[in-house]
Amino acid sequence: MKCTRKECYVPYLFIIPAFIGLITFRVSPIVSSLWDSFHTVSYAGGLHTEFSGFENYAFALTDPTFLNSLKNTILFSIEVIPLQIIWAFALALLVYRPAPAMGVFRTIFFIPFTISLAITSTIWGIMLNPNGGFINSILGLAGIGPFQFLTSSKESLFSIVFLVSWRCVGYWMIFLIGGLQNISISLYESAWMDGANPIQTFLKITLPMMKKTILFVIVADTTQNFLMFTPMYILTGGGPEGSTNVAMYEAYKNVFIYADRGVGNAMVMILLLMILIVVFVEFKFVKSKD
Amino acid sequence: MGTRISASKVIKYAVLVLFAVVFLLPIWWVMVSSFKRDPSIFASLMPFSAHALWFDSEAYLGAFRDIIIHRNFGRAIFNSFFVTFSTVFLGVIVTSLCAFSFSVFDFKGKKVLFGIVLVTFMIPFSAIALPLYQIVSSLHMVDTYWGLILPAVANGLSIFLFRQAFMDIPSSYLEAARLDGASWPRIYLSVYMRMSISIIISAGIIIFMDQWEAFLWPLIAGRSQAMKVIQVAIADLSQDNEIFWNQIFAACTISIVVPVAIVLPLQKYYIMGISSSGVKE
Repeated sequence: MKCTRKECYVPYLFIIPAFIGLITFRVSPIVSSLWDSFHTVSYAGGLHTEFSGFENYAFALTDPTFLNSLKNTILFSIEVIPLQIIWAFALALLVYRPAPAMGVFRTIFFIPFTISLAITSTIWGIMLNPNGGFINSILGLAGIGPFQFLTSSKESLFSIVFLVSWRCVGYWMIFLIGGLQNISISLYESAWMDGANPIQTFLKITLPMMKKTILFVIVADTTQNFLMFTPMYILTGGGPEGSTNVAMYEAYKNVFIYADRGVGNAMVMILLLMILIVVFVEFKFVKSKD
Repeated sequence: MGTRISASKVIKYAVLVLFAVVFLLPIWWVMVSSFKRDPSIFASLMPFSAHALWFDSEAYLGAFRDIIIHRNFGRAIFNSFFVTFSTVFLGVIVTSLCAFSFSVFDFKGKKVLFGIVLVTFMIPFSAIALPLYQIVSSLHMVDTYWGLILPAVANGLSIFLFRQAFMDIPSSYLEAARLDGASWPRIYLSVYMRMSISIIISAGIIIFMDQWEAFLWPLIAGRSQAMKVIQVAIADLSQDNEIFWNQIFAACTISIVVPVAIVLPLQKYYIMGISSSGVKE
């Protein structure tokens, strides 16, 4: 509705409270992060900041610890995103058609998502205890293990991938169920008439029709996991031997432990740029798969 | 034919039950163990016995008592409730007001401003947590309730949900109310909000979950004993020198029961809310 001249300020009155919040707590942190990443705090001759160009970026990108943490972030994403999507897709395929007890199973699969990431990490940290923890204890019944899990540099990152996925797959399942239910049943019927087998039907009908939903889940999954470091903070502190030290955790340490805001914020900016690129590539990749 | 179908059905349900066990067993074990003494928990795990999954003959409530009396958990529980419900209350008002404006009026800069809303909720929170600390610190809100509540109030997803719901309300209602001489605040409240109860619940739960589960932000902005929320208090318990499993489990049980008790009865609204965030192109 167009406003009459004397009340043109009205629309702005309604949005002011929200925009004060968005500008103060969402937009200005990004701006301040960008500014910090180009400045260095100097304590020589009294506290002052000076413009330092790309010095912080250069420092971050030549720091072996940060480079190793970038490698971990990429490894983590390469493992966690496909695992979550395949797992969630399997769950969605199992429960999307109406049948007895499907609602109950959907609810059960969704329950872990209502548990916070911090608690999920804490619980799994105890269950994955190498000495008589719940999982080793159960696997022991079948004569498997014991595993070192979080205390081994070989197993730690994947242990975190697993526990994060355990929490989240029910959430992605919801979107995938929505997508599956939108596929018209007549498409399947005509495929059956043509004698297509279930695998052909899945590849030729289900997957192509689900493209938009899958793209959304991949992109949302990427932005959710790329900067995640709560489990690492709670469970491993980045260890053992730096094997779970992801890049965002390294940025956090730079700001809050090493008190180096410039470098820490440069790392955040590098990560944001990487997310943008990854999401862009994901769009291209899914769109081109015709 | 008939037997083949039932065989595939049996397999399907077996797989479903297997997944259900994978998702529920850890939670069940945590809850049961929170009513045990540590030696009893350990004994049932080495080697594993079915007793691990059931209560002791006498339920032990000491773990709950210990965390509340000795570990300051009463305060953490209060803080979590206070911060979360204040955020939901303020958040629903602020975001619905904003969405009302976006769906009812045409005004200069509307597109750009709505673009800002969309961008802000695409940016992962961890990316802004570090600089946000500087800003909240310069407002002298570190270690205060305001510092924990205010940054979460203007929730972009909630604005988006309210806008979608409001745009579906036929404009004839608006015109009728205008002819009756109703003021804009009146229209917002008694036409738009009244017709959007289910979205109020959806948005409320989404803000509730975001805030109840928040860890990173309270970790850096609410470190003091007085401001600690339950998520941070649990992480502290598990990073202590002396770790009591049953205390951690008791704390987790409390923290799990609250969102589950709220979300499960209202899951229809919650799922409606999160799935409409998926259709935003």
